[in-house]
Amino acid sequence: MKKIYSFEDKCLGCKLCEVYCKTARSKSKNIIKANKEENIDSAIIVEKTNKDTHFALQCRHCTDAKCIKACISGAIFKDEIGIVRYDKEKCVSCLSCVLVCPFGAVRKSDFNSTVTKCDLCFSTGKPLCVSNCPNDAIKFLDEKEIDDRMEIVK
Amino acid sequence: MKYLIIGNSAAGVNAIEAIRRLDQQNNITVISEENYQIYGRPLISYYLSGKIKYKNMFSYKEKDFYTKKKANLLLNTKVNSINTKIKKIYTNDNLSLEYDKLLLATGSLPFIPCIKGLKQHIDNKKDSNVFTFLTFEDSLRLKNKIKKTSKVVVLGAGLIGLKVVEGLSGQVDNITVIDLSDRIMASVLNEIEANMVKSHIEKCGDNVFFKLKTGISEVRNDTLLLSNNTVIDYDILIVSVGVKPNVELAKNAGLKIGKGIIVNNYLQTSNKDVYAAGDCIEYEDLFSNNKKLYALWTNATRQGELAGYNMSGIKMKYSRYFAINAISFFGMNLLSAGITTGKDIHNYIIESSINTFHMISILNNKLVGFVLINCPNKRAGIYTTLINDGIDISTLDYDITTMKNIKFSIYPKKNRTKKMWQGAA
Repeated sequence: MKKIYSFEDKCLGCKLCEVYCKTARSKSKNIIKANKEENIDSAIIVEKTNKDTHFALQCRHCTDAKCIKACISGAIFKDEIGIVRYDKEKCVSCLSCVLVCPFGAVRKSDFNSTVTKCDLCFSTGKPLCVSNCPNDAIKFLDEKEIDDRMEIVK
Repeated sequence: MKYLIIGNSAAGVNAIEAIRRLDQQNNITVISEENYQIYGRPLISYYLSGKIKYKNMFSYKEKDFYTKKKANLLLNTKVNSINTKIKKIYTNDNLSLEYDKLLLATGSLPFIPCIKGLKQHIDNKKDSNVFTFLTFEDSLRLKNKIKKTSKVVVLGAGLIGLKVVEGLSGQVDNITVIDLSDRIMASVLNEIEANMVKSHIEKCGDNVFFKLKTGISEVRNDTLLLSNNTVIDYDILIVSVGVKPNVELAKNAGLKIGKGIIVNNYLQTSNKDVYAAGDCIEYEDLFSNNKKLYALWTNATRQGELAGYNMSGIKMKYSRYFAINAISFFGMNLLSAGITTGKDIHNYIIESSINTFHMISILNNKLVGFVLINCPNKRAGIYTTLINDGIDISTLDYDITTMKNIKFSIYPKKNRTKKMWQGAA
C-alpha cells in the first residue's frame, strides 16, 4: 500500500502540510475557513530537531497497529487497503490509542473529545499535505519503493 | 485440524483473527457463556451512564464478523470439563466437541470478599439488590434496577468501582464508596495522584461520598454493618473489590496453575495442545521476576493474537508485559504505564498543578513508568514505547526528564527515520 514518507533533509519546517491537513480534514475544504474559523486539528505534525532541522510525521499505518489492539470500542480499525481508520461515532475517548502509539501520531484533539489521526485522505486517495509540500519533503510512495531506499538509513 | 476457543472476548476474538490470517480452511469453534457477540467489555460502564446505547455496545466487530471468519459461535454455553487425553470438551447441554488445538480465554471473575451475608445475597441473582460489575448482563440488570431515589453503596474504590460511580452519577439519589485502603485506586495511584482524582470525582459526581479505611462486616437485607460499627442503609450494593482469573476449568483439566494459568512464551499451557491468553493467565512482569496477573484489555488482545498464531503453526514469542492504563472519570484523564515506585527509581515531576500531574520514572537510565493526569495532549505513546523497548535514555537527542512535551525527535536522526519508514513492527 502507499504511505506518506518523510524526507528530513528536504523539510523547511514551513508547516504548509499542517495547513493543508487541516483543510483536508475540514467541513468547508476552504483553506482560510479551515485554518481561521473551524476548529480543526492537523493530523500531520512538523517537529523541530535538536539540530534546528525539521521533519513531518503522521500515522504510520503500522502493519501491526498497537492502537487497534488497544481500542476498546472498535473505533480504530484497519480497512481493506490497510489504512488505519478512526470512527469518532464509536469512540468513548478513553485515549487507550494515545497511550500506545509509538510515534505519538494518534493524539487527543485540542478542541473536542475525539482523537486525531491521519487517514491518508482515503476518500480522495490524494493526501493534500503531499501535493502541497513545496520541497518534496513528504512523498506518497508505495511501501516497496521505500524498501529500496532503506539502505540510506541502515 | 479443529480449533476450539473457550471465551469470546478480547483474547478469544483476536485469536480467531490471527488464525484466519494463516489458516482459511480449518474449523474454528468459539464458545461463550454469555449471550452476546463480542463487545468491548470496558464499555459496560458507558452503557450504564447512557453514553453508549444498546445497539452501539457491539461496535467492536461488525455483525457478520463470525460468518466472515467462518467461526462457529456457540453462545449461552458453559464448558463443564476438558479431557486433554482424548482432546474433548463437554458442555452443560451435553455436547461434546473435539479439538486439535484448544485456547482457554476464560477471562476473569469478580472477586467476592469473605463478608458475612454477602455470598447468599450475590447467589440469589435474579432478585438481589447486590451486584457485581463485569459483564454486559451485569450492566443491563443494574440499569434496570436503579431508581432516582436509590441509595447506592459501592464496595471497592478501584477502577471498576469508580467507573460504576461515574456511570450511576446523576441517575440515583446518592453513592457511597467504601474501601479498606486509605486511598482510591491504590494499586495504580500514589497518595497525591489518588487525592487529585478523588477530589475531582467528589466535585463532579452527584452526591458521591467516600468512606476510606472502612470495611463492611456484614451484609444484611437493606443495611450494611461497617467495620467501625456504624450501620448504613442501601438500596443497591455493588461489589467491585477486584477480579480473579477464571482458572477453574483449567485446574480441573489438570493444567498447571500458579496465580493464574501458567503459560510459556508461546502462550502454551502445561499441555502442548492447550493454549491460554488474557485475564486468566499469569505472566512475567517486565520489571520484576514475579509472575503477575493483569486484567487489561490491551494485553489480552495481544496475547489472543499471539496464541492464535502459535496455534496455527507459526512460532511467535512475546514476553514484555507491564501495566498500562488509560482511564477517565468525569472528563479527567489518567494515562499511566509501568512502575513508579521501587528501589533506585527516580521520579521526575515535570508538571504539577491542582488538577494536573506529569511525572516520569527512571531506573538505571531507562524509563520504567509515567503518570499523566489531565494532560491528554501529551504524546504518551512515545513514553510507553520507551518503556517497552528498554531504551537507554542517554542515547536520545533530548533529556526527557525535563521535557514538557515529549516528541518523536528525541530519537537520533537515523533511528527516527528508520522507525518512521518502517512503521511499528
